[in-house]
Amino acid sequence: MERREILDQVKRSSAHLKSISGDDIETIISERRYGFISGICKQVVTRSMEERLTTSDNIDRIVINRSLGIPVFLFLMWLMFKFTFTVSGIPMGWVEDGQEWLGDTIGDLFPEGSILGSLITDGVIGGVGSVIIFVPLIFTLFFCIAILEDSGYMARAAFVMDRFMHKIGLHGRSFIPMILGFGCTITGIMATRTIEQKRDRFTTILVNPFMSCGARLPVYALLIGTFFPEKGGTVLYSIYILGIIMAIIMAKIFRKYLFPGPPSPFVMELPPYRMPTIKGVIIHMWERGALYLKKAGTIIFAGCILVWFLSNFPWNPQYSRDYDALKQKAEADFASGLVTKEAMNETIANLKNEQASEKMQKSYMGGLGRIIEPAVRPLGFDWKIGVGLAGGFVAKEIVVGTLGTLYAVGKADEEAVSLRERLQNDTWPDGRKIFTPLTAFALMVFTLLYVPCVASIAVIRKETNSWKWPLFAAGYTTALAWIAAFMIYQGGKLIGL
Amino acid sequence: MPQKITIALAGNPNAGKTTIFNNLTGARQHVGNWPGVTVEKKEGVLKHNDYDIYVVDLPGTYSLTAYSLDEIIARNFVVEESPDVVVNIVDASNLERNLYLTTQFMELGVKLVIALNMSDLAEARGQKIDTKKLSDFLGVPVIPTVGHKNKGTDVLIQTIVDMADGKINLDRVTIGYGEEVEEEIQKIEDLIQRDGALTQGCPSRWLALKLLEGDEEVTKKVTEEET
Repeated sequence: MERREILDQVKRSSAHLKSISGDDIETIISERRYGFISGICKQVVTRSMEERLTTSDNIDRIVINRSLGIPVFLFLMWLMFKFTFTVSGIPMGWVEDGQEWLGDTIGDLFPEGSILGSLITDGVIGGVGSVIIFVPLIFTLFFCIAILEDSGYMARAAFVMDRFMHKIGLHGRSFIPMILGFGCTITGIMATRTIEQKRDRFTTILVNPFMSCGARLPVYALLIGTFFPEKGGTVLYSIYILGIIMAIIMAKIFRKYLFPGPPSPFVMELPPYRMPTIKGVIIHMWERGALYLKKAGTIIFAGCILVWFLSNFPWNPQYSRDYDALKQKAEADFASGLVTKEAMNETIANLKNEQASEKMQKSYMGGLGRIIEPAVRPLGFDWKIGVGLAGGFVAKEIVVGTLGTLYAVGKADEEAVSLRERLQNDTWPDGRKIFTPLTAFALMVFTLLYVPCVASIAVIRKETNSWKWPLFAAGYTTALAWIAAFMIYQGGKLIGL
Repeated sequence: MPQKITIALAGNPNAGKTTIFNNLTGARQHVGNWPGVTVEKKEGVLKHNDYDIYVVDLPGTYSLTAYSLDEIIARNFVVEESPDVVVNIVDASNLERNLYLTTQFMELGVKLVIALNMSDLAEARGQKIDTKKLSDFLGVPVIPTVGHKNKGTDVLIQTIVDMADGKINLDRVTIGYGEEVEEEIQKIEDLIQRDGALTQGCPSRWLALKLLEGDEEVTKKVTEEET
C-alpha cells in the first residue's frame, strides 16, 4: 500500500514540477547537477586558453565578468525598481480612488458621530485600505524578482557577489538569503539553513533584516509618491542600496568581533540560462504576493483596529471647551442674522477641526504618542509618526496603516482627502510643515533599519535557538536606525534642506 | 591475518581507468564476465601492508542511469555489493564532463576517492586545477595521478586504505535542486523512509531523485516489491 503511495506522490510531484518549469523533471535535475559542476569548474580551474563558448557562457562572459559583474547587477536592480514604480503607478491610482469612493459611500450610511461608522470608514477602510493600495506595487516587484530567479540570473548575482562577500568574511551562499530578504525577512532567515557554518549562518541572520522586505515597501511608496514624485525609482533604489551597505558593514563587524574565523568553502551553482515561463513567474509572484494579502487581512487588520480604538477612545473625552454649545451658538447667531451663512460654516468647520484634534490628543494614542515623541523628536518626527513606528513592530506595513487611521481620524471636513494630501498639509503647532522631503527620507531610513517585525524576531529566536540573538537584533537595529535618521535629519537641516 | 578491503574503480570511458587498474594490481588480475551478461569483468588483488585490497573494475560510464547495461552493472555493483571504497577516475582534461558521474556517486552516499588522472595533459593544455579546492567543494579526497607514468599511485592507495578505515572525514556535500524540487524530494523521501526494506544499501534521497527522474530500474524495484 505504502509503495503505491510513493509512486503516486512521484507522479504528482513530476506533474507539479513540470507545470511550473515547463520542462521535464529529468532535464531540471540534470541541469542542476551541471550547474553544480559548472560552478565548481569555474572556481577550481584556471584556464589560459580560449574555451569553446556556449550561449550561457557567452552571456556569462559579461554578466559574471570580474569588472562588469557588479555594475551589471546594480543596473539590473535599478531597472527593476524603476520598472516597478513606473508600471504600478497607474493601478495604484485606481485602487486609491476606489478606496476614497468606498469610504465616502459607506461613511454616508452612518449618522455623524457613530462609533460603528468611524470603525468601518476610519479604522478598516482607512487603515487596511492604505495598505491594500500597494498591492499592485508589491506584485510588480515580486514579478520582477521571479523573472530574475527563473531565468537563472539570481544564481549569477550570487556568484558575482561571492567574491565581494568573501571580503566581508561571508560567501555567496549568504547572498541568496539576502536576496530573498527583499521579499520577506522571514523567508530570508529561513533560507540561511543551507549555510553550514554557524558563524556564517548567524552573521547572515543578524544582517538579513537590513535587506528591505516587501512589507517596508508601502512605507517608501507612500512617502516617495508624496514627496519625491519625480525621482521615485532613484530614491527607492537608494534606500535599498543603503540597506545593503548597512548589511555589509554590520556583517564585517559581526564576523570580526562576534563570530571570528575563516569563511568555509562553498560551490556556487550556475545552472544554464533559461527562458522563464509565464506560468512559473506568475506562480512565484503569487506565492509571495498572497502572503502579503494574507497579512493585510489578518495581522494588519487587527493592528489597524487596535490603532483605531486607541486613537478614538475615550469616545467622549473631557473637552477644554464645550464645542457643541459653541456650534449651536454659531447657528443661533446665523438664525438671528448676526453673521452670514459662510461665516457660520467657517466657524463650525474650525470648531470641528479643533474638536477632532483635541479628541485625538486626549485619546490613549495621544498619551502613548506623548511618551514616544521625545525619543523621535530629534529625528524630525511628531507623535503620530512615533505611534506609527511603534505599530510597525507588529508588521512594518502598519506604519502606513496607522498613519492612514490617524490622519483619517483627524480630518475635519466630510470630504475624504487622500492620505498623501493630508501628509503634505500637516503642520507643527508653529505652522511649519511636519513632512518635508528631508523628514520623509529620514523616516524611510528609520523604517528600513529599525527593529525587525515581531514575526522576524520569532524566526530569529527559532533559528538561533536562544533569546539572546533576537533581542540583540532588535536592540542594535533600532539604535542604528535612530543614529542614521538623526544624522540625516540634523545633517540635512544644517546644510539647509 | 590481513584485512580485506573491496574497492570499485569507476570512471568515464577513456579516463585512464585501465592504466590505474594495472598500476594498482600489477599482474594479479582475473578477467571474467559479469553474471548473466557478456560484459567483461576484471578483478585483481593488491597487497598493501596488512591489507588485501580487492579491486573490481567497473564498466566505463558517463552516468549511473538505467539507460545502458554498463551503467546498470556499475550501479548495481555499488548498491548491492557495497564496496568499501569507490575510486572515481576523473579525466582532468575533461573535468566538467567527468564530474557528472562523480555527482552520481556522491548522491549514492558511497565512500568516494577521486583519482584526478592525466593532470599532466590538462596542464599542457593550459589548465591548472586547484585540487584542494576541488576536494573541499565535493567533500571528497582528490588525488592527482598520472596513470601512464605511474605517478600518484602510492598516495592513492594510502588514501583508499584511510578511507576504508574511516580515517578521512570530509563534510558531505549535498547538491541542491532548488526550493521547488527539494520540496517534492522531501515529500517522496518521507514516504520512502517509512519503508525500511527500500533504503537498504542506498540513501532515501537518492531513491527519491531517481524516482523523480523516472529511472526505470528504481521504479521497477518499488513497483515489483509492492505486491
